[in-house]
Amino acid sequence: MKELNTHCYSLFLATSLLAPTALAQDSSLSNPSISAVLDGYYQNTDRPLAERQAGFGLGETELALSANIDELFFGKLTTVIESHDGESEFTLEEAFIQTTAMPAGFGIRAGRFLSDVGYLNNQHLHTDAFTARPAVYRAFLGGHYFDDGIRLNYLAPTDLYWSMGFEAFKGESMKAVDEHNERDFENTGVYTLHTKVGGDIGISSSWQLGLNYLRNENGRLSPFEEDEEEHDADAHQTHDEHAHSASYTGENTYGIDFVFKWAPKGNYKYNHLAISGEFFKVTDFAPEHGPEEDLDDDHDEDHQHDNLATDEKDYHQGWYLSSVYQFSPNWSAGLRFGKIDTQSLHDEHFESQQLEETELSIAWHSSHFSTVRLQYTHQSTNNFDDNDAASFDSNVVTLQYVMSLGAHNAHQF
Amino acid sequence: MRINSKFNFVWNGFKISKPQMRARHIKMAKAVSISCALLFSQFTYAQLNIFTCEPEYAALAKELAPQAKIYSATTALQDPHLVQARPSLIAKMRRADLVICAGADLEVGWLPMLQMKSANAKVRSTDKGLFFATEHIDTLDKLTQVDRSMGDVHGLGNPHLHFDPQRLLTVAQALTVKLTNIDDDNASEYRQALKSFQQRWQTSIGHWQLLTEKLDGKKVIAYHSSFRYLFNWLGIEQIADLEPKPGLPPTSRHLAKLLKRATQGDIGAIIVASYQDERGANWLSERANLPVLVLPMSVGGNEKSTDLFELYYSVIDLLNSSLANSPLLDQSQQVGAK
Repeated sequence: MKELNTHCYSLFLATSLLAPTALAQDSSLSNPSISAVLDGYYQNTDRPLAERQAGFGLGETELALSANIDELFFGKLTTVIESHDGESEFTLEEAFIQTTAMPAGFGIRAGRFLSDVGYLNNQHLHTDAFTARPAVYRAFLGGHYFDDGIRLNYLAPTDLYWSMGFEAFKGESMKAVDEHNERDFENTGVYTLHTKVGGDIGISSSWQLGLNYLRNENGRLSPFEEDEEEHDADAHQTHDEHAHSASYTGENTYGIDFVFKWAPKGNYKYNHLAISGEFFKVTDFAPEHGPEEDLDDDHDEDHQHDNLATDEKDYHQGWYLSSVYQFSPNWSAGLRFGKIDTQSLHDEHFESQQLEETELSIAWHSSHFSTVRLQYTHQSTNNFDDNDAASFDSNVVTLQYVMSLGAHNAHQF
Repeated sequence: MRINSKFNFVWNGFKISKPQMRARHIKMAKAVSISCALLFSQFTYAQLNIFTCEPEYAALAKELAPQAKIYSATTALQDPHLVQARPSLIAKMRRADLVICAGADLEVGWLPMLQMKSANAKVRSTDKGLFFATEHIDTLDKLTQVDRSMGDVHGLGNPHLHFDPQRLLTVAQALTVKLTNIDDDNASEYRQALKSFQQRWQTSIGHWQLLTEKLDGKKVIAYHSSFRYLFNWLGIEQIADLEPKPGLPPTSRHLAKLLKRATQGDIGAIIVASYQDERGANWLSERANLPVLVLPMSVGGNEKSTDLFELYYSVIDLLNSSLANSPLLDQSQQVGAK
C-alpha cells in the first residue's frame, strides 16, 4: 500500500500537470492580494541594535503583492520602505516563488524569503505584539533574517504536526564584519536545518516546538590584522550596511523555540493567551590564528579557542520569554523579558557584553486591522556603550501604530 | 414526529470485508500498468479523508459520505472568522482528500495559510478536492462596493448559509457531485445517500414550516448577521445588530442606541450565536426587559444539536419558546403574511 501511495502521488502530480485548474484562492488573475502596512512611531530614546531611532519615525512600511502564478506556483513580492537618518530606503524583503503542487508533502520555495528558523522569524514584523524584535533576534538574525536562497520543506503525514526544512542562502547579511573588504567569503554562506512539531491539547490549547540549526560559513570573525577590529553594535550602525545585518555571527547557531496558545473553548474572538520563548546559542566566532590552524581548522575546535582567555566565554547566547493576552477584541497586553550575553572583540581579546530588556506593551485595536501600541521597555546594558556612543537610557517609551489595508492578513499560529 | 431514520444501517451492508480488500489491492496493482486515472480513484477509495472548516459541513458530509473520516476545524463555540492556522489543522489538511468550507471569504484569514502550509495539492483548487458551499448558491447581501470603514465586510455575500434549508439542499447536491468526482468508485453510494438525505430533509422542511408559522413577522435584535438566512427563511426581521459594524464588538454607545430602539415595544428577543459574547445582549436584556436567546450556531452548539436535523429542531424550539408569543407591532401584518 505504501508503495502504491508513492506511485499514486507521483502519478497524481503527472495528471495534475495535464489538467488545467482554476485556483480557488482569494486572489485571482484580475485580483491579486495586495496589502499595505503602515507603521509610525515616536520613541523617547535609542535602543541597542534596534532599527527604530529616537524621535518620530516610520517603521517598516510594507507593500505586498501575492497570487498564484499558475497551477504549480505561488508568488509573493514584499517591498519595504524604511527611513533612516532622513533617507528613505527601499528593500525587497520577499520575492519568492513557492511550489503548490508537489507530491507527498514536499514544497520548494526559491528567491528571497524569510527563513523558517525560530518561531518569530518567518512572521512579519507588523504582526508582533511588541515594537521591536527581542534583543536575541536583533543581535543574531538582524531583526528578522531574510535572504536569497532556496528551501526544501517536508510535512510528515502524521496526526501530530511535524515539518522539516532545509534552507541554503547567500548569507549576505550574516557575514562576519569585514572592515577592509579583503575577505574571500563563500558565495553560499548560510545553511539551516529546522524541524517543528505541534498539536492541540484539548479544545482550548495548542502548542508548537521547534529545533533549529544554522550553519554560517562566513560567520567566523576575520583574523586580526591591526588594531582596528571593533565589533560591536555601535561600530555596525555607523556602517553603511546597518540594521538588517546580524551583529554577532558565528559558524554554528543552535536554537530552540516554543509557543503555547490558549483561548476559552478555542474561540479566539474575545480572549486568548500566547506564550512563547526562544533560545539561541552562537558558537565558533573567534578568529583563527596563523597558517597552522587554518590547515586543521574545523575538526579541532579546541585549537580555535586557545586564544580565548580562561574567563572569556566562547559563545554568544540569548533568549526571551513573551506572554501576550487579549482581554477583548479591542485590547491586548504583553509582557516580555529577554537577555543576550555576547562577546565583543577589542584588540586581541573578547569583552563580555550583556543586554537585558523587560518590556510591557498595551495595544488598542480599533478593528481587526489597526493597532495603536504603547510600550515601556526597561533596558540594562553592560558594555554596550563603551565605544564613543552615549550610554543608553534605561527607560524607553514607544508609541506606535500599525495598520494594514488591502488583503486580509493571515492568522499565523 | 421527527424524521431521523437510522441512516447508518444503510451503510452497514456496504462495509467491505478483509478478503475483499485484498482482492481490491491486487486489482489496484494491475491498474498501475493500465491506467493512471483509474488507479488514483481506486486509491482514494480506502477511506475518504474529509476536512471541513465548520461543523455544519462536517454534519452534512456525515449524511452524504457516512463512511468517510471527517474532521471539523472549528466547533460551534468558535468564531470561524478568527481561527489560527495552527499546527493540528495543518497536519489534518495535509492528509485530506476533500476540504469543505463555506467560502465567500469567511475563512480568508486562515484557509489560504493552511493550504500553503499543508502542502497538499489535492485540496488547493475547487477543480479537485476543494469545495466552497457559497459557490453553489446565491448568497444574500452581496456588495458591489466594499470598504473597511463599513467593518469587516465581504463583497461575496453572507457565508452563514446553513440555516436556509433549501440552499443547504442545493449545497448537498453539489457536494454529492464533488464526492462522486473524487471518489468515482462509490458514486452510486453517494447518490443513494443524497437521495435518502433529500427525502428526509424535504419532509423535515414541511414539518419545520408548520412549527414556525408563528415566527413570521417577528422582530429581533441579533449579534452580527450570523442568522441572516434563518431569519430570511422564517420571516423574522432583524431590526438591529449588537455590533456597531460587522466584526466590531458592541460598544456602550451603540448599546444605548439599541436600548432606545428596544423601548418601542415591537422587539421580541435578543439573539446571539453560541460563539458570541453575551455581555452586550445581557446588558440590553436587563434594561429593555427582553429575553436573550443563545442559538446554536451549528451542530454541537448545544446539547440537543447532534446533527443538522436536530440543530434545526433545537433552534426552532428555542425561537418558539420566547418569540412565538411576543407582541407584534402591527397585527394586520401577521394576517397578511403567508
